[in-house]
Amino acid sequence: MRCWILSAIFGLVSIMLAQNSAYQPDPNWRVPQDAAMKPNPLARKPDAAAGGKKLFLRNCTECHGQDGSGLVKKHAADLQLPVVQNQSDGTLFWKITNGNPDRGMPSFSKLPEPQRWQLVLFIRKLKPEN
Amino acid sequence: MRLAYIALFAFSLFASVTLQAQESPYFVTYDHHLEEPGNLEIETSSTVGVPRAGQHWFFAPYLELEYGVTGRWTSELYLEGQSTAGDSTIFTGWRIENRFRPLAREHWINPVLYLEYENINEASRIRKEIVGAAPELNESNAELRATRAHELETRLILSSTAHDWNISENFIVEKNLSENEGFEFGYALAVARPLATLASGKNCRFCRENFIAGVELYGGLGTTQGFGLHDTAHYAAPAISWQISDNTSLRFSPAIGLTHGSSPALLRLGYSYEIRGFSTKLARLFGAKP
Repeated sequence: MRCWILSAIFGLVSIMLAQNSAYQPDPNWRVPQDAAMKPNPLARKPDAAAGGKKLFLRNCTECHGQDGSGLVKKHAADLQLPVVQNQSDGTLFWKITNGNPDRGMPSFSKLPEPQRWQLVLFIRKLKPEN
Repeated sequence: MRLAYIALFAFSLFASVTLQAQESPYFVTYDHHLEEPGNLEIETSSTVGVPRAGQHWFFAPYLELEYGVTGRWTSELYLEGQSTAGDSTIFTGWRIENRFRPLAREHWINPVLYLEYENINEASRIRKEIVGAAPELNESNAELRATRAHELETRLILSSTAHDWNISENFIVEKNLSENEGFEFGYALAVARPLATLASGKNCRFCRENFIAGVELYGGLGTTQGFGLHDTAHYAAPAISWQISDNTSLRFSPAIGLTHGSSPALLRLGYSYEIRGFSTKLARLFGAKP
């Protein structure tokens, strides 16, 4: 009986994790034009990136890893890639705010707006290790 | 034994293990933020009821397990009890709650659908929702626990974010399936804001950014047999949450009774602990490759 329960739990968890295949950008995750154009109000406060790092470690490393390279099992984007870094500040802010819940990226609108901009500042600092 | 409890509390207060965003300070009102997928939050809360003349103090603790099933679906299990001064301590039942976000993106108003099944008895005092008419508090636990209640509670949760303020409105309809007493109605309204909106670069426990303060207003709106404010309970409740560490938070709310049907005050305290990536950790436990 106990063995059966353990097998059932394992099967259930395996099903939950089976969806974690290689990350593919979601073509339907489109950012409205006006949101993409928004400038980062903290752009002239580079010191705020330190707070962004703290927030990144708190909220993002579970899926994106400490260096932002993204965990394959979580479908998480590699934030160091040009496909991410070439996006505007407004685009990154919008994506952090809204998330993409159907693809596993939660909304972080619970963070105050300045903190989401701090995250954008820090994401800009993520560089691939040579 | 008491020392062990104090040590456990002190450890959890100052332990810093994994990481999590700030928790809302609300006890009754829900906002539109769901649990992150795969995370499990374990929360213990309690409601202490200050009595009117002829009534007794009560203490109603509950354990809450909240799991993010998907980005748009959060499920919770509650186990609750109650202790009344000069009476007894009893288990009052369990609840299963589900919240769904129908819309994927952030909007001006974000709706969330809420459905809860409650298998409790009439001695339940956790006051997680205030609905219908004012409760009768003079009966003994022995009498109350004998009456079981299978209840369905639904809420329409509307929540907005405006200039770092959260504004939430909940409209509650509850039906006791065990009694032919119609539908009960209630409401909960709340606003809250972090004390600081910019995160400092250093790790600090008492920074203003770790605190969210707000106020809740909640109460009953009668039943289908008598809709309105007559003989209903209403409370105004300042609330504050403190992100103690990256995965633990503490909430406190002293609610003041506004009508004769209300308790003079309800003191609420909640402590939550977040296990990030719970489903992944569970899978590893059963042999799944990292």
